[in-house]
Amino acid sequence: MVQLREVQMQFEEKIVLEGVSLDVQPQERLVIMGQSGSGKSTILRLILGILRPNAGSIFFKQFEINRLNRRKLQQVRQHVGMVYQYSALLSSLSVHENVALPLEELTDKSQSEIDRIVDEKLELVGMQDAKDLLPDELSGGMRKRVALARGLVLDPELILLDEPSAGLDPVIATVVDELIIRLTEKSKSAFRIATRMAMLYEGKIIEEGEPEKFKQSKNPVVAQFLSGSTEGPILEGTLDAIRKK
Amino acid sequence: MANAEARPTMRGPLEVVEIERTFLREVGSVFWFIVNTFQETLERVQQGRAPFRAASFFRESVRAGVNSVPLVGLVCFFLGLTMALLTGYQLQRFGTERLIPGLVAIAFTRELGPLITGIMVAARIGAAFTAELGTMQVNEEVEAIEAMGIGPLRFLAAPRMLALFLLTPCLSTVSNLAAVFASSLVCKAYFSIAFPYFLDLVKDSLLIRDIITGILKSFMFGLLIASIACYRGLTVKGGAAGVGTNTTSSVVTAITTVIGFDTVYNVIYTNFYPV
Repeated sequence: MVQLREVQMQFEEKIVLEGVSLDVQPQERLVIMGQSGSGKSTILRLILGILRPNAGSIFFKQFEINRLNRRKLQQVRQHVGMVYQYSALLSSLSVHENVALPLEELTDKSQSEIDRIVDEKLELVGMQDAKDLLPDELSGGMRKRVALARGLVLDPELILLDEPSAGLDPVIATVVDELIIRLTEKSKSAFRIATRMAMLYEGKIIEEGEPEKFKQSKNPVVAQFLSGSTEGPILEGTLDAIRKK
Repeated sequence: MANAEARPTMRGPLEVVEIERTFLREVGSVFWFIVNTFQETLERVQQGRAPFRAASFFRESVRAGVNSVPLVGLVCFFLGLTMALLTGYQLQRFGTERLIPGLVAIAFTRELGPLITGIMVAARIGAAFTAELGTMQVNEEVEAIEAMGIGPLRFLAAPRMLALFLLTPCLSTVSNLAAVFASSLVCKAYFSIAFPYFLDLVKDSLLIRDIITGILKSFMFGLLIASIACYRGLTVKGGAAGVGTNTTSSVVTAITTVIGFDTVYNVIYTNFYPV
């Protein structure tokens, strides 16, 4: 369904992705792991066509995203749901209006039908009682659930979630994780969600596989990342510099 | 040492070239911003759908137009009052104070009304548009709209641009009326020109083309201010500091552009239609 082929991405002098190749199959939940700034969000933006790669190709179904014109790209994006790390709800619109927005703008559905779908999606994420509130009146977890409802409102074929449980307390993070699993119909957080995982490090995919295989990885970077240890290749050099200071 | 001395003399022209290049790039970017917004909006109309939400257009119209009436009216009322008073005393020395109504009416209708309205709209509404869109950009709201497959230009910029395009001439008319009314009060109080006679003098001196010139100018001012403000808002980078920088830059650019455009318009207009 989604394919990245030898994708290279550079912001000014900084190389973020260096020949990244990925393949995501239908019904699959791929979790990409990596340090902050390793390029996870960049990959999502590349799939959506918001960023254009310096080299390589990105495919969504039969469409080569980086070659589509603006109009075609907008049509393709309607088949992809995106949930942002900080929810990115429109602050001037209520919860109901936020979720209804894609339906109102992109479909010919009647207002009553839109209301019905929005209510259904809000109920799915347990936010039906908050539909008249503004995003500013919601907690982080509630915003994330509304963003999830908005991402799912057009019944997309692909849903992209940028750090869905970041910044949430462990209980709410579990609620959001369970919600994602339930909503896509098909436990630290990533292991609970994923059917396959990939580790991004220094612009490259260094390990890829099923969660169980991933846990037993011999790769020192993966092992350090999963254990959360400060000893290992991830902070090599950096830690010494911090200690010296 | 010789090289170090030579460098400052080279830096001058190079800096000028760089400034010129930046200026042209900015002009080009705003031009393409207007073209792309128009194109996105037109495409939507061709699909047989409303280009943007009517509610959004009316909200911007109320904010930009209706809510600006007191400010624009009051400022131009005071300016009309001052202008009538100061010119009146000069003209009285030659016994030609009956020229005051025409003078104020022509000056405001052709030039001062649209110009002052443009400057005030740029400061009040331009800043608001840039800050609002800039904050949306920083909070990834604009990107979220784009990610949904909704054109952010037609959804966010088009209603604002249309509202300001249509309402700046209305505000300009309000400012003209306020200034003329203020000068009528001065004429009555200081120069014994009764209101009916004042109106006759205004009607005799004011030509239809004076009114049309001012209105046409105002349409363009509205479009330019809104385009610059929206462009600056949607290109904010660097968080809250970026919003502040772009808001300041938006107001400065819009005011400079309005005055610059007004000058060019006057030069062209007076060449084709000499007074």
